[in-house]
Amino acid sequence: MWKVTVKGLLAHKLRLVLTGIAIVLGVTFISGTFVLTDTLHNTFTTLFGHIYQNIDFEIRGKAAFTNNSPGGGGGAVRKPIPASIITEVRHVPGVSYAEGTVSGYAQFVAPDGKAVSTGGAPTLGLSFDPNSQLSSLHLARGRAPTTANQVVMDEGTARKYHFSVGEHVRILLAGPPQTFTVSGLVRFGTADNLAGATIAAFDLPTAQRLFDETGRFDAIDVLAKPGVDKATVQHAIAAALPSGVEVVTGQTVANEQTNQINQALGFFSTALLVFAFISLFVGGFTIFNTFSITVGQRTRELALLRIVGASRRQVFRSVLVEAAILGFVASVLGLGLGVLAALGLEALLKGFGITLPSGSLVFEARTVIAAIVVGLGVTVVSAVSPARRAVRIPPVAALVDYRGEEGESSRRRIAIGTIISVLGIAALALGLTKPAIQLVGLGAIAIFIGIGMLAPTVARPMASALGRPLARVFRISGKLGRENSMRSPRRTAQTSSALMVGLALVSTITVFGASLSKSATSSVDNAVSAAYIVTATGNGQGGFSNSVATEASRVPGVATTSTVYSDEFEFRHDLATVTAVSPHHLADTVILRMDAGRGAQALAEQELLIDTTTAHKDHLAVGSVVPVRFAETGSSTMQIGGIFKPNALLGSFLVGDGFFLSHFNEPLPVAVLLSTTSGSPNITTAVKAGLKAYPNIQVQTRAQFEKAQQAQVNQLLGLVYALLALAVIIALIGIVNTLMLSVFERTHEIGLLRAVGMKRRQVRAMIRSEAVILSLFGAIIGIVIGTALGTAFAASLKQQGITDIVIPYGSLVIFLVIAALLGLGAASWPARRAARLDVLAAIAAD
Amino acid sequence: MTITDHASTAVPPSSEPPAARAVDLVKIYGKDDAAVHALAGVNVEFRHGQFTAVMGPSGSGKSTLMHCMAGLDTPTSGHAYVGDQDIGMLDDSGLTQMRRDRVGFVFQSFNLVPTLTARENITLPSDLAGKKIDQGWFDYLVAQLGIGDRLSHRPIEMSGGQQQRAACARALIGRPDLIFADEPTGNLDSNSSSEMLGFLRRSVKEFNQSIVMVTHDPRGAAHADRVVFLADGTVVGELTSPTADSVLEHMKQLGS
Repeated sequence: MWKVTVKGLLAHKLRLVLTGIAIVLGVTFISGTFVLTDTLHNTFTTLFGHIYQNIDFEIRGKAAFTNNSPGGGGGAVRKPIPASIITEVRHVPGVSYAEGTVSGYAQFVAPDGKAVSTGGAPTLGLSFDPNSQLSSLHLARGRAPTTANQVVMDEGTARKYHFSVGEHVRILLAGPPQTFTVSGLVRFGTADNLAGATIAAFDLPTAQRLFDETGRFDAIDVLAKPGVDKATVQHAIAAALPSGVEVVTGQTVANEQTNQINQALGFFSTALLVFAFISLFVGGFTIFNTFSITVGQRTRELALLRIVGASRRQVFRSVLVEAAILGFVASVLGLGLGVLAALGLEALLKGFGITLPSGSLVFEARTVIAAIVVGLGVTVVSAVSPARRAVRIPPVAALVDYRGEEGESSRRRIAIGTIISVLGIAALALGLTKPAIQLVGLGAIAIFIGIGMLAPTVARPMASALGRPLARVFRISGKLGRENSMRSPRRTAQTSSALMVGLALVSTITVFGASLSKSATSSVDNAVSAAYIVTATGNGQGGFSNSVATEASRVPGVATTSTVYSDEFEFRHDLATVTAVSPHHLADTVILRMDAGRGAQALAEQELLIDTTTAHKDHLAVGSVVPVRFAETGSSTMQIGGIFKPNALLGSFLVGDGFFLSHFNEPLPVAVLLSTTSGSPNITTAVKAGLKAYPNIQVQTRAQFEKAQQAQVNQLLGLVYALLALAVIIALIGIVNTLMLSVFERTHEIGLLRAVGMKRRQVRAMIRSEAVILSLFGAIIGIVIGTALGTAFAASLKQQGITDIVIPYGSLVIFLVIAALLGLGAASWPARRAARLDVLAAIAAD
Repeated sequence: MTITDHASTAVPPSSEPPAARAVDLVKIYGKDDAAVHALAGVNVEFRHGQFTAVMGPSGSGKSTLMHCMAGLDTPTSGHAYVGDQDIGMLDDSGLTQMRRDRVGFVFQSFNLVPTLTARENITLPSDLAGKKIDQGWFDYLVAQLGIGDRLSHRPIEMSGGQQQRAACARALIGRPDLIFADEPTGNLDSNSSSEMLGFLRRSVKEFNQSIVMVTHDPRGAAHADRVVFLADGTVVGELTSPTADSVLEHMKQLGS
């Protein structure tokens, strides 16, 4: 039986290749993701290992709370420690060296006057420790900074922007920007650059002054004397420390940093793996379809095997073994391509502004196992149902014309399909309300499988309707193509099911994205009344100088300026983001619609405002007193002074700027809002000129700000589309495969048509008509499902700020047209092959 | 062509049970008004070591009879026995086992697996059953059928006669109790037909093979020991030691 299986596979190489491609691509994606993230993981681990390998201990404030939110990077929020501690530490026996470190915001300005952008990576300002054994920064060129106007720069930035030692560079800081002399260039550990972050390091007193940490340190790095027992020294240091300060080993810090990076990488690889699994899921549909068709085509052969003594089990196994061989070969190929894909993914991400450090590729055993298990698994599981069908072929099918028990099984299929769909919808609904993302995914998968089972029921009437205009345009060719697509509703539905899934996902994202985009726009209008919004360039990360607001207020025509701050705090023991605005002239810049209590006045009185969503969820009312905690100032309670209607810009928790500044150390503004004096002409140019000293900020009118927000959403959508494209490509390969099999199956029939006078062109038109019907069928169902899913997703996030649900009909129609064109493209090869059939041979063939 | 080693040992005594028999076998296709009585109560016995031809006009039920008696199709009522085994009592794996051990098939359309060579097709039943083939028997059959130089060819590279001879070898390789041949010469030219029928004849005579052959060719039927005539789903007569003329004569009588 083994021989029959292998020989059968080798006899149909083309089918093998076309079916295998789906798995190859999916596995490539998976292994590529693993290789990339393993490589990054390895790079970062090595990097941090090098940086902290010489530091024996670090003294630092105890973590107030840990930020584990996806964007937070998993870093602990710590309070600075008094600089005076260092004297005591230096006196601890066994300590050979101790120096304080501080860090803060410092962003270089390139020679062209633009701020050096990092694409989201931090712009680090550090204190430079001249002890080369201790410092994570190693001087590669020049000297260490020793005066208040010297700085060292990372080699990566210097190379990119052509800075050299001795040159002047302007640096943007939390305070006013300043110009420094580059005294030297540094490497970060062994790397010239830390994941795209830029580094500006100053001598310690300068850094303390610049980062507003005079008299304080973020941490103290300690070296032990050679030969001493480190545990003893650590104990001795701990004994000398005041409460709230801790001493940990350098290894601990390195591990923490690595874990932090790994957590971020974890989100990243999960996101990529989700798309890899989507591709494989779609690939599973095409494999299922191919095996269904080939089992159908091999009915006679399989029945013959049964006659000459093959048991049901042998037939079942032969189909599964065929799938297993295919899956294995495809997985191995995919694994190899995965390495290339890792490089491709890196390039793709770079294209979207996410720069990653480079390192030699890491190829772990886990990658191999996962790729092969998943690739093999998907192929074999997809072939189970066709294999069961093969088992049901009676031996007599070899001798008489046999048609499967279509009627009975279709009734069962409808019943099962309905049940699976309903369960899927239920799981999805539950998942969205909970919210539980796994349940949402499971629900979506169940819906796709359920609808896929139901689709054959509507395939005949829909193919008939879709084919009618084709029959009119292409006459007999279109008519035959239409009839071919109606001939086996099950095959039509199965073939287009992969495209259905692909397009369903694309339209889900489109509807969701359009709603998000529209909500972002209208939320700006509902949240802000300011004429101008000043934010940092790039991704809006990194913040900008506190002095921007002051300078802006000097511009003629500017009436009010309000600085917006935002940071993390603990609200009723859960981590949350608190936003601060100035209560003075609040209405000039921010639209705060109160549901209960007071607004600006409560802010001025150091009270907390919360939005209605939080109030409902936590059953809070005006006057409630809630426990809060800040990293700097510790635990306390706040009274709720008012409840406001959801505001996209302000978030859920709002305090006055005075309160905020007294609870956070050296915060950077996230935005400055400007209102203009009434009747003032367009003053954009004046504002821009007034803030020329800060090249890292952008001045936008409300309309421009809205546009920028939309652009951000669209960029993300672009990335998602690019990742989903693979699934659509796999679906199209499935269509090519099916058409090829159909052409092969109908060799005799096509020969007959040619013999009675059909032209090659007409043969091609016939195959193409069928392909267009197939694609449109899949696309229509997919778009309907996708629109429903997208609407459901958007609706479930109403509380989170998606207030408008938009169905972009234009885009959906474009998808439909693209699907039809792609179907046409998929048909070109099978159509040519059909047209080239030798008429005589085709008729002779049986 | 002399046959010594594998020649028949003895003529079977009449007390031995038949190789296969049908008892009141009924097969109805379709339901109600559309019902077709393909078999309307057939009683027939096929004896060991005998070459029996089943004849009848199109639609007489001869193929259905063969399918039901070989366990390929399920009768509506009645019983079919292979040896003393009522095959209606067998489940699918029992039937598979029976096909492996006790019966062989030769079909009109050869029915070789297209991706396998002639050799692989012939050994397929043993491979499926996980048995070792009797190499001496294999060599003997291949020599007798004259396909020794075709063993590494695929069906598409062989003539119809060669394909049918390979199919014949496949049926005989497991030394089944009974071979069912369904119009084995239907797709062959007259030369190949005669060779094939001659070979079947010899395998009955020389190694006591039992064969049931469905045919509508009187000259083919003349090679048999006995001819059973079927019409409208019932047995309507039989002839022993037929000649082409006597078969034709009998057919004419049935037709009138």
